[in-house]
Amino acid sequence: MAKVLEGPGMGLMKKWGITVPHYVVVTSVDELEKLGHANEWLKKSKLVVKAHEALGSRFKLGLVKVGLDLKEAEAATKEMIGRQAGSITVSQVIVSEMIPHKEEYYCAVKSTREGTDILVANCGGIEVESNWSRVKRLTMEVGQQPSEEALERLAKDAGFHGPLVKKMAQFAGKMFSCFDSEDAQYLEVNPVVLREHEHELIALDAVTLLDGDAKFRHPDWNFAFAAEFGRAYSKHEMEVMAVDSKIKGSVKFIEIPGGDTAMLPAGGGASVYYSDAVVARGGKLANYAEYSGDPPDWAVEVLTDKVCSLPGIKNIIVGGAIANFTDVKKTFGGIINGFRKAQSEGKLKGVKIWVRRGGPREKEGLDAMRALKDEGFDINVFDRNTPLTDIVDKALQK
Amino acid sequence: MSILANKDTYVVIQGGVAGVNAARRMAEFCYLIKRSLNVLAFVYPPDAGKTHEIPYGSGLVAVPIYKSVAEATKNHPQINTSLVYIGADRAMKGGMEALDDSHIKVVSMITEGVPEKDAKILGRHATKLGKVFNGPSSIGIVSAGSCRLGVIGGAFDNLVLSKLYREGSFGVITKSGGLSNEIIWICSQFADGITTAIGIGGDTYPGTDYVSYLDMFENDPQTKAVVIVGEMGGDLEERAAEWYGAKKRRVKLLAVVSGFCQESLPKGMKFGHAGAKEGLKGEGSARSKSDALKKYGAIVPATFGALGPAIKETYQELLKSGQVKEPVEPTVLPKLPKTIEEAMKADEVMVAPLIRTTISDDRGDEPCYDGYPASELINKGYEIPHVVGLLWDKRLISKQEAEIVKRIMMLSADHGPCVSGALGTIIAACAGIGLSQSVAAGLIMIGPRFGGAVTDAGRFFKYAVDNKMSVDDFLAYMKKNHGPVPGIGHRVKSLRNPDKRVKELVGYVKSLNINTPCLDFALEVEKITSVKKDNLILNVDGTMAAVLVDIGFPVDSLNGFFILSRTIGLIGHWVDQKRQDSRLIRLFDYLVNYAAPKRREVPPLK
Repeated sequence: MAKVLEGPGMGLMKKWGITVPHYVVVTSVDELEKLGHANEWLKKSKLVVKAHEALGSRFKLGLVKVGLDLKEAEAATKEMIGRQAGSITVSQVIVSEMIPHKEEYYCAVKSTREGTDILVANCGGIEVESNWSRVKRLTMEVGQQPSEEALERLAKDAGFHGPLVKKMAQFAGKMFSCFDSEDAQYLEVNPVVLREHEHELIALDAVTLLDGDAKFRHPDWNFAFAAEFGRAYSKHEMEVMAVDSKIKGSVKFIEIPGGDTAMLPAGGGASVYYSDAVVARGGKLANYAEYSGDPPDWAVEVLTDKVCSLPGIKNIIVGGAIANFTDVKKTFGGIINGFRKAQSEGKLKGVKIWVRRGGPREKEGLDAMRALKDEGFDINVFDRNTPLTDIVDKALQK
Repeated sequence: MSILANKDTYVVIQGGVAGVNAARRMAEFCYLIKRSLNVLAFVYPPDAGKTHEIPYGSGLVAVPIYKSVAEATKNHPQINTSLVYIGADRAMKGGMEALDDSHIKVVSMITEGVPEKDAKILGRHATKLGKVFNGPSSIGIVSAGSCRLGVIGGAFDNLVLSKLYREGSFGVITKSGGLSNEIIWICSQFADGITTAIGIGGDTYPGTDYVSYLDMFENDPQTKAVVIVGEMGGDLEERAAEWYGAKKRRVKLLAVVSGFCQESLPKGMKFGHAGAKEGLKGEGSARSKSDALKKYGAIVPATFGALGPAIKETYQELLKSGQVKEPVEPTVLPKLPKTIEEAMKADEVMVAPLIRTTISDDRGDEPCYDGYPASELINKGYEIPHVVGLLWDKRLISKQEAEIVKRIMMLSADHGPCVSGALGTIIAACAGIGLSQSVAAGLIMIGPRFGGAVTDAGRFFKYAVDNKMSVDDFLAYMKKNHGPVPGIGHRVKSLRNPDKRVKELVGYVKSLNINTPCLDFALEVEKITSVKKDNLILNVDGTMAAVLVDIGFPVDSLNGFFILSRTIGLIGHWVDQKRQDSRLIRLFDYLVNYAAPKRREVPPLK
């Protein structure tokens, strides 16, 4: 799943006929000033200014300001740009018009195993979470399109009356079109509002999750996906991602500050079992990592370099199951080169290395690892006869 | 027995290189269990009509490549299974093509990164048709002793170690491809091995879930227990738990779930497979899954490491209740023939080499000439003539000798467009022929009458010097045995019109104060012959020959100096004609003396 920031998310909704407030995404006050000259609405409307970054709880951090005129919005922009929030520096703000409204509603579309669920409620904002029973659901099977009647029935079920039934049905229909055509996995508008003195439903705030795997058929996805865990990617994480995008197979790396057990296991499945074992033994993970699909040795070397560069680590877990087709000797060659490089840079002092692996050319690979002992590494090597996660038990033994 | 894949499973593989690699692995398994190769066809339009040669034992099986699944099944009606190795952007089309073919009952998609929507559409289409769509991102399916689909099971040695050559009693369903071998191995070490192991893929919505396969295992009497390797995210494990609790099941269910580490990670931080994503309110978490499985009576070891002992315990119970018997291991198993390389490495075979070389070797990271690395020669200031010395005479020539060789090459690099060699190249170039062939056309001209006298001249001058012959004796010997002296005589040059190149070369060599017996002898010969006829002078071939013999080059290499030097000129002529875009040329009639009979009537054929 790939998270999309508000700006591009609203852009996609607009594309599918959903009314969104006027908005601009700017990177400087100058830009906003210039846009102010060119756009009537920026002068006339009350405005909302929000940091346009993958951050949770922006309200609490003071990164959302409401009810501003253009001058105040410019001041807020100036204040927000460049501000540090955790590891993220605010580089963009989104300025949008405030929509005066009375009622708030809710609409979401989500992927399920059987197909797609369309969710509608006649309450919105924080009210939805406390009134989840008021959310009504229309379940669509894979490949099925919702009919007008079904959508109107859904709106009625959710408690809409009169002309709002048709409006909400149409709104939900457009949400579905957007979801279905854009390979979305989750779309949520909360709240949906009705502008005072007008009769149009507007999407005030949107959560957009797209299927990153479908990027190949969406040439107009010209935006970057946002990090999913409320912080920006670190330099090392981005370097590994850059390698990952270039190679056959995969290498993955996520830093977890404060941990002392470094992970360098093989396989998307086994890597999580290894992480579980560390946690179960009371260890503290310093990172998540994984390589699989017979990646080239240089890619594994880059990954190893990043793992060895983690601060304050005591153990490195080079775990792995019995591989199907990943060449153990070749991938271990990359790890060994990475270890040697780290050692020459003065890293790995007092760090214990634990190895367990099987698969094509396992004997050659494990022998090469064992030979590292002669080069001064504190390394313990086990073969398939040692159960998968036992090296974690040995490493974390008090 | 087994599920999904068995002795009657025959396969078409859709895709390119990855599919061929899988076929090789599948052939190894077929060889182990002594069945013929179960891959009958490939579908890969760019190579349609060709075959892939798949090693089977010590031989090769030619598997045809077709442009469509329909064409493959028409030619091989036994095909009932397709493996999809097509790229993510075209995988759905390929999967649909396979599902829509009436012969095909099972489609397993190995492709990773398939859009979720496409996977759902494929899964639904298969259900509608009553077929099985497994994957995407599946590592494959293997039924012990009968059928392997994909690379699951790993290398040949691992197939044997994991006892995949005969049936056991445990079914395996796993999202993780990397762990499939681990579980198969564990089942073979702690119990009697597997019946069928299925990789369902780590995506959020695999085409077929645990429950469908659990139903199949429940109906397979050979399978006594099923091991599920789960992951956080989605609700497939919960559904499997409910299935197990819904009624009394014949099979025992064992399960492990990963993702407990999530509980102690910073909020929102997720990793693992695409499907390993926790839903709202803790649903899909490792804990909710393992709780559900336990609740409905499945055996759920606390850690992955405890899975082996749990499987062992289950197996012991099955033995005790008589539901399974200790398996009988075959006494002899086929051994995968080694490749020549492997056998040589293990000192098991001796191969008589086909050729022998004494001059160069490029098996390392760079070529070595007579043992010297090329880069080191460059960095220590050696030049082209030294490389010639190393490769033609296996010796590192001196700086002075190199200078002589260089001058010889410069003097004979070209001799204008009219000589046989250049003309040959130019005619070819004008006919639109490529560089190497045109240069070859010029080189072909080098022989006894053009440029090719160097070797012979060297040989005879050396013969005379070695045998201490006088010039008169030498000329008499030549006249009697061989004819004109090679290296003496020129078509246009003469005493009055000397060849500047000869003068230049002789002058330089003589200035060096080195011993030049052959050159001295050749010049003596010229003194006599040029008196007889003034164009019987020492020509450039003869001069080169004498000098090269004097500095120690073997007689057989001498023509090489002319060939090498003149190649520079011939390449120049070809490039020159090419750049001018020269027209095709032919001789004018007036340049031909037509001496053939006049036109006459053809007599009737007898």
